[in-house]
Amino acid sequence: MKEFVTRRKRPLGVLSVLVVAVTAVAVGLTTGAQARSSADELKGAGATFPAPLIAAWQTRYEAAKGVKISYNPIGSGGGISAISNKTVDFGASDAPMTPDQFNTCGGCVELPWALSATSIMYNLPGLPNNLHMTGPILAGIYLGQIKKWDDPKIKAVNKGVNLPSTDITPVYRSDSSGTSFNFTTYLNTVSRQWKSQVGRGTTVNWPAGVGARGSAGVSGVVSRTPGALGYADIAYALKNHLKFFSVQNRAKKFARPGLAGIKAAALADRKFNPQSNELSIVNPPGSKRFAKAYPICTYTYVILRIQSDKANLLKPFITWALTTGQQYGRPLIFEPIPKYVVARGKATLKKVHP
Amino acid sequence: MAVAQERAPGPAALQRRGRFRPGDALLYLVTCAAALSGALLLALITREILVEAWPAMQKFGLSFLTTQAWGDNNKTLFGAKSFIFGTAVTSFGALLLATPLSLAIALFLTELAPGWIKRVVAPLIDLLAAIPSVVLGLWGILVLGPFITGTLGPAIHGTLGWLPIFASKPTVGSNMFAAILILTIMMVPIISSICRELFVSVPSELKDGALALGATRWEVVKGVVFPYARAGIAAAMILGLGRAVGEAIAVTQVIGNNVAIHADLFKPGDTLASRIAGQYQGADTALQVASLVYLAVILLVFSLIANLTAQLIVRRVAARHNIR
Amino acid sequence: MSAQAPTADLFRSEHMRRRRIVNKVVEGVATVAALAAVAVLIIVVSSVVRSGWDAINLDFFTKNQTLYSGFGPRPASGIANAIVGTLIIIGIAILMALPVGVATAIYLNELAPRKLANVLTLAFDVLNGVPAIVLGIFVFVFVVVGHGQAAWKASFALAILMVPMIARSTQEVLALVPASMREASLALGAAKWRTTLSIVLPQAVGGIVTGATLATARAAGETAPLLFTTALYSADTMTYDPRQPIPSIPMFIFTSAEQPDPVLHQQAWGAAAVLIGIILIASLIARWFADRSVQRLKGER
Repeated sequence: MKEFVTRRKRPLGVLSVLVVAVTAVAVGLTTGAQARSSADELKGAGATFPAPLIAAWQTRYEAAKGVKISYNPIGSGGGISAISNKTVDFGASDAPMTPDQFNTCGGCVELPWALSATSIMYNLPGLPNNLHMTGPILAGIYLGQIKKWDDPKIKAVNKGVNLPSTDITPVYRSDSSGTSFNFTTYLNTVSRQWKSQVGRGTTVNWPAGVGARGSAGVSGVVSRTPGALGYADIAYALKNHLKFFSVQNRAKKFARPGLAGIKAAALADRKFNPQSNELSIVNPPGSKRFAKAYPICTYTYVILRIQSDKANLLKPFITWALTTGQQYGRPLIFEPIPKYVVARGKATLKKVHP
Repeated sequence: MAVAQERAPGPAALQRRGRFRPGDALLYLVTCAAALSGALLLALITREILVEAWPAMQKFGLSFLTTQAWGDNNKTLFGAKSFIFGTAVTSFGALLLATPLSLAIALFLTELAPGWIKRVVAPLIDLLAAIPSVVLGLWGILVLGPFITGTLGPAIHGTLGWLPIFASKPTVGSNMFAAILILTIMMVPIISSICRELFVSVPSELKDGALALGATRWEVVKGVVFPYARAGIAAAMILGLGRAVGEAIAVTQVIGNNVAIHADLFKPGDTLASRIAGQYQGADTALQVASLVYLAVILLVFSLIANLTAQLIVRRVAARHNIR
Repeated sequence: MSAQAPTADLFRSEHMRRRRIVNKVVEGVATVAALAAVAVLIIVVSSVVRSGWDAINLDFFTKNQTLYSGFGPRPASGIANAIVGTLIIIGIAILMALPVGVATAIYLNELAPRKLANVLTLAFDVLNGVPAIVLGIFVFVFVVVGHGQAAWKASFALAILMVPMIARSTQEVLALVPASMREASLALGAAKWRTTLSIVLPQAVGGIVTGATLATARAAGETAPLLFTTALYSADTMTYDPRQPIPSIPMFIFTSAEQPDPVLHQQAWGAAAVLIGIILIASLIARWFADRSVQRLKGER
């Protein structure tokens, strides 16, 4: 009987020693890293478009005010659904919410807090940066009609460039994306066929190409695939050393997605949508005022619940982001938002209460 | 596939007349509740999924299964046709590759390999089953994808390009062919381990009899082992298929997420599970969420049918041949 | 037991040589197939080890991930919070799944009438085949909507995955316990519950540990349930609170794999190596326990 008892205890003994050992190691390893309570933390999720800017804000805001901001770039659709499901304190989206989405959210406000450009990135080894691209050609590529890089239409706007006969692989966002919303809105304005066949939205039926998750995912596929072409915030193209096009605007000039191009485009719309505060600055008119404008720019928005337990932390953060935070966007090609947008944002922010 | 060899005497036989054992009653209650949890969870899962998908089921009905669309201009049209097609092509394609491989491996391990090789190779193949799908997906993106676009794809296109399934040269590593290869890697350990158990359980008298009659090893396998294990092999294939159909993570990493329906394997596509994994986090309208859960309903129905069928076959085989 | 007659006509072909050649060809094909499978395993594992090796250093295990927004190369950090998160999630999942699995096996093997046991076993076998993504949606709809993500909700989803496996392997080892032991105990006047808990169960501990370890190895690598329940976390902090969403190794690999940054790729390989290492160790432990318990029950120990 004694033998029986000792034998029974042994596997349990070994197991408990293992469990204790693993726990001890885990605790020992992690005493260096700090854990923080959720009391002084703001949780956000949403668009990948502003993620580089928000990352810059996170370290600086924590250093300045001691409040931790955490942000998960899961796409604009994810941001809208997360704030509607109350799993985060603020959501971020490049796409303005529809009235239905406001209903589902149940007491939310949206305001623009950053401004940048959607670059069209390409992977053509050996060729120079900033090749020329026009809206109709882009629509043709994403419709699957223009299939090779040495298509006559592309050659016509890139005289003197030795374009290869590689297949074009258009890359799009497979997740629900505000950048897709911005890009398809642009394609709607430059191609009647696109407008009738596909249309605009955060999720559309892409006729050709390959999907990837997030702006980072699109950049990843483009960087790995010779002959690929994709759309993402300009910061991603710069971060990953990807080439991007100069796109022709309505003033017939080829504009780059830089701070000057964005600043010019921002003048195209000053009328806020009453519910979502949307400003649509895609494909500005062809007048001289917009000669330098890059045609695929977009504001990006933050979504807040009107009634929030974290209102006393949220309001200072958003105010800071709208004002002091804008300067940190310049190196990442986020143009500081105009003063009237800041004013509108602050006015909307007043509605938020604990 | 285990059936209890010896059953303990039932409770009625042991109960003393007039003596109530509260400890026994407590044990009964607790363990019975635990055992019912499986059936309860199945019912609960089915109910919750159906309730969540109801708005889409009501709006689209069965035409959902034949509509090829995902998100129109106003986000009012969703359909599962592309994904049912993609799931069918990738899963059956993987089954086509995995079954002969698994049978060959099971044969090798039961009939051909000497003891020491068996002891080394068998655990290695089991280890293949233990590789997490996300790691296979990582390998698929960073290693297999470039290999397909750089070497394997052009080779296959060069020799078999006249077949519609290899009609174009792969330009990007995310395509249905990559998904088929990854799913094959996942299915082979499952099917081969079940087949191994089946082949071992073939009564040696039958095999010895055939050998005594002068049959070669292969003829014994073809004439005795395969017919004997036929039903079990079918069950193994169905279980492997069920695993492939339900795989979301590795597939969504390598398949390219495209809604088009075409025979070309070197083009991107999408499957039911992969679309759910890719879009669920970001579904921002109620109809899109319901449509994604409708996809999950289709997935659940298929996996329940496949699993039930496989399990019933296995039980019938076990009862008939009394194998463990 | 009905014997199945060989269906191939063995004497139709008189060409012994041809039959021998066919035999040899098939044997060759079978060998090649097995070697191919082993080769694939070696290729995948060596990719992981080769690419992940450079990422693995002490920092990898002690530092958290960093948030990085600059344009230069990202500094390499670690996945300490992801490792701890995975341990917490799996730990809670085991705590949820083990009692339910063992209790289920006791009922099905010792107490239930045979027909009911067969039906319930079938239910668990079918539950085992429900795809992990469907389980993820179920848990999301059941406990996450309206309440927020949390690590314990991920553990709940993983526990649903683990219970059928634990129940099955516990059942198998309970069946190996000889009836004579139970009968002796009952004959001595012990109650059924006393017999089960003090006589039968201790004999089965090895098998229970095997089943639990194998189930853990499977659950450690699952990503789909985590997508819905513990995906919105702060990548650079260490969180121990299971009521919050916390990082985990599979989520880290999933999100890093699709990024263009080669430093993140290397870290993903390193994380994959750690994950495979955990699973390998768990499988070896399970195998060791399985051999021990089977040997003991067969009287060889």
